[in-house]
Amino acid sequence: MKNVTGNESGAAIKRRGLVFYTKIYFKIIAQDIKSKMSYRADFIISTIGIIATNIAGFIAFIIMFGKFPSINGWSYYEILFLYGFSLISITPTQCLLDNNWSLRRYVYDGDFVKYCFRPINVWFYYVSEVFDVKGLGQLVFGIGALVYAWIKLAIPVEFLLIMKIIVALVTASLFMMALQNAAAASCFWIQNSFWLLDISLKMKDYAKYPITIFNDVFRFIFTFILPVAFMAYYPSLVILRPDNVPVLTWLSPVLGVAAFYGSYKLWMKGASKYDGSGS
Amino acid sequence: MKNKLKKYFALTRLGIIETFQWRLALFVMILGNLLYLTLIYFLWKAIFSSAGNDVVNGMTFEMTMVYLVLATSLYGVVELYIVWEIGRNIQNGKIVLDLLRPIKYKHYVFWENSGVLVVNFLVTFIPTFVIVVIMTKGTIPLGWNLLYFILAFVFSIVINYNIDFIVGTICLYTESIWGINIMKQMIVALLSGATIPLAFFPEKFVAVVKYLPFKAIYDTPLTLLMTRNPGWQTVISKLGFSLFWMIAISAFSGFFWRISIKQVTVNGG
Repeated sequence: MKNVTGNESGAAIKRRGLVFYTKIYFKIIAQDIKSKMSYRADFIISTIGIIATNIAGFIAFIIMFGKFPSINGWSYYEILFLYGFSLISITPTQCLLDNNWSLRRYVYDGDFVKYCFRPINVWFYYVSEVFDVKGLGQLVFGIGALVYAWIKLAIPVEFLLIMKIIVALVTASLFMMALQNAAAASCFWIQNSFWLLDISLKMKDYAKYPITIFNDVFRFIFTFILPVAFMAYYPSLVILRPDNVPVLTWLSPVLGVAAFYGSYKLWMKGASKYDGSGS
Repeated sequence: MKNKLKKYFALTRLGIIETFQWRLALFVMILGNLLYLTLIYFLWKAIFSSAGNDVVNGMTFEMTMVYLVLATSLYGVVELYIVWEIGRNIQNGKIVLDLLRPIKYKHYVFWENSGVLVVNFLVTFIPTFVIVVIMTKGTIPLGWNLLYFILAFVFSIVINYNIDFIVGTICLYTESIWGINIMKQMIVALLSGATIPLAFFPEKFVAVVKYLPFKAIYDTPLTLLMTRNPGWQTVISKLGFSLFWMIAISAFSGFFWRISIKQVTVNGG
């Protein structure tokens, strides 16, 4: 009899698929959002913060590009398109993986151990603990910029194009999440990995410019070593340059999944190596 | 007075030793700066080549690059992540211990971080400056302007620190540090001319920005550094502007902290 229950619970663990994790995810973030809502001043200040940040970003954009009809063969609205695109594709990283910013501290202080004792995936449990609502503010600005540029560029609104842009956005998001996740995971091996995370955050600022402004050496680096070009440029070519789509663009969804999976494996490897040092 | 300074410099020394413990962080920071400089080099090159003109808004490509390279390295010196530190200390309760120290909290945080500032200045700004001077041969004059720069830079450090401290004080009222810190970084970087030289701003925008304290952080020291033989009037008005804002903003940050700390309870410890 005991044996049977043992088998059953074993099967139950195996059956923990997408449905199980989705359910749990919403339960965990509901707690997080409830706790955040109790700090109303904080929510208001953060919202003002995200709006002000984005307005400052747009002012900088207009100052730099507004005076020139085109930069390096890219029109003003095409660059705006890339800008909006990059703002949208950073949103999943910001909303879903925000807790990665605290990982370094949890590992350093030894509090990370609490995540290792749950009967669910450690990475999943860790990142689901925090959902950054403010990130959605960025999404609004990003969609606004993208739609505006879309209209100004007179791109037709067709079903196939909408599907393409969605796939492109998901691809770019995967690359951004992969980079941030890997940078956060570095804290399992090196101390003070804050700088790596900070650099990974700044990469999103690099992503919003066409890769063609760089020379060959840096084009190579930003494509194959630091995947900045995949965070907006290559995926958005399906819309901006439909007649001349490079192979890398077609490959990018697969590469995005691979990069994300790689970063996840790295994170899990670090977590399994973690020995609970600290106080 | 002497004792007071000794107390402060002891904190500076500790900071210097601590910074050299994090050699890897220093290396990664320099790497990050190099990447950023690469980006702005190619970006501005593209902008200048599409303008079809050697001079855009009164600045040549070379001047723009010198300005931005030096602004970036100064940014690396004065950005001490004070808001993060204060915010974290509020959240974990460590601030209670710091408040008990026989030194004003504002001064303690500054001097505690001054070591990092010194190391960053020696390790990032000085080498960058030397390389720029050698590579551009004459874009930066070597004369009295160096002295004006140092003075303006000292004001800049104090102004920047006090802005950070004010934003850190806001963290007493909120739980999040991230949002506030990002906002501060973006606004200061834009309005101070750290990311785009103020010469490129539209006139109406500059009309407002030129009265704000932010420009004293990067624009004023760098303009004084790069101007050959500025008139006395220019030097005095620029330094006077920085000095005025330094005093005003220090007074305000102290006042804001005093009224804020009374109203706030801190959890943990």
